[in-house]
Amino acid sequence: MGRFLASFVAILVGLFALELTPPLQVALVAPWTAGLAWLSATLAAAVDPHVLATGKVLRSTTNGFAISIEAGCNGIEAAIVLIAAMLAFRAPWKHRLLGIAAGLAAVQLLNVVRVISLFYLGQWSFAAFEWAHLYLWQALIMLDVLVVWLLWLRALPPQAALAP
Amino acid sequence: MKATPVAAFALRALLWLAPSFALWYGVAPWHASIAGAFAHVWLAVLAPGLLATVERTGTTLAFVTTLRVPVAGQEGFLVAEAGALVYTYGLALFLALMMAARAPWRRILAGAALLLPFQGWGLALDLLVQVGINLGPGIAAQAGLAGWRREAIALGYQVGSVILPSLAPVIAWAVLCRPFIEGLVPRAGGMQQATTG
Repeated sequence: MGRFLASFVAILVGLFALELTPPLQVALVAPWTAGLAWLSATLAAAVDPHVLATGKVLRSTTNGFAISIEAGCNGIEAAIVLIAAMLAFRAPWKHRLLGIAAGLAAVQLLNVVRVISLFYLGQWSFAAFEWAHLYLWQALIMLDVLVVWLLWLRALPPQAALAP
Repeated sequence: MKATPVAAFALRALLWLAPSFALWYGVAPWHASIAGAFAHVWLAVLAPGLLATVERTGTTLAFVTTLRVPVAGQEGFLVAEAGALVYTYGLALFLALMMAARAPWRRILAGAALLLPFQGWGLALDLLVQVGINLGPGIAAQAGLAGWRREAIALGYQVGSVILPSLAPVIAWAVLCRPFIEGLVPRAGGMQQATTG
């Protein structure tokens, strides 16, 4: 487990440092976050026409309440953790790539639920918003990453761990 | 794919989250004191001489530094505050995972102790980012934080505030509950195989 953990931490820190570089922030993080805000607003608009997305900000046109999707809430860090965990585990590349694609979809799906739920929770109670935003959803997203990783491990062929 | 054992574990962890958060919140002020003590140790290593003492009000820690700042025509020491909850909430996730894995209390206590250095790291970097970046170049220069050290602080803070609070509990759980994970996922033996393969 020591070697796995060392590989995991090395890949994690490398990807995280890469994500923080200005070029990647401009080319990937900012458009991704804006896309997340747009998708959240589009889904929420199915039942609430008073939702507007501007860049990374989600706004209610009825009461002016708005949330800005910042680092840690755009799902990129959770994705990095999942990618690092799958790359650090010895498995065939085909299974890694499939796992990463399916895993990222699962994590991002829950993240959209997080954004929309926080948007409405904040309009109801700011204290509840703070609690859910800072503690509860962070734990839930990481639990999601863990469960996806465990499911991926179960889906690997028996010899996968020994494959070159 | 047999997902049932993983799904059952996930459901148990979800159910344990609420009581775990309640327990964490109940002990949070004392927990903050201990995490603050670990932050003190980290700061003694990362920025020797910067911190005089750490005081606590509720779950907020006040870092009393040795940096001098003008206050109403006089000179005082800079005090920076940090909320401990955002760095310690991982204890609740860890408790939920351990209870879902039906781990013995001995291991739960060991894991809770294992998390403290990570929580202290987040708090220590919170102070360093305030002093080295947020409060301007004058304070940063007085603290001796410039150049590459500021970049390192920015990265360390991001890791300590965005990733570690929720990831460290999962790693601690994986280390302490390895037999459980191997029962849940037989392929997890590959974590060992990877070391020799």
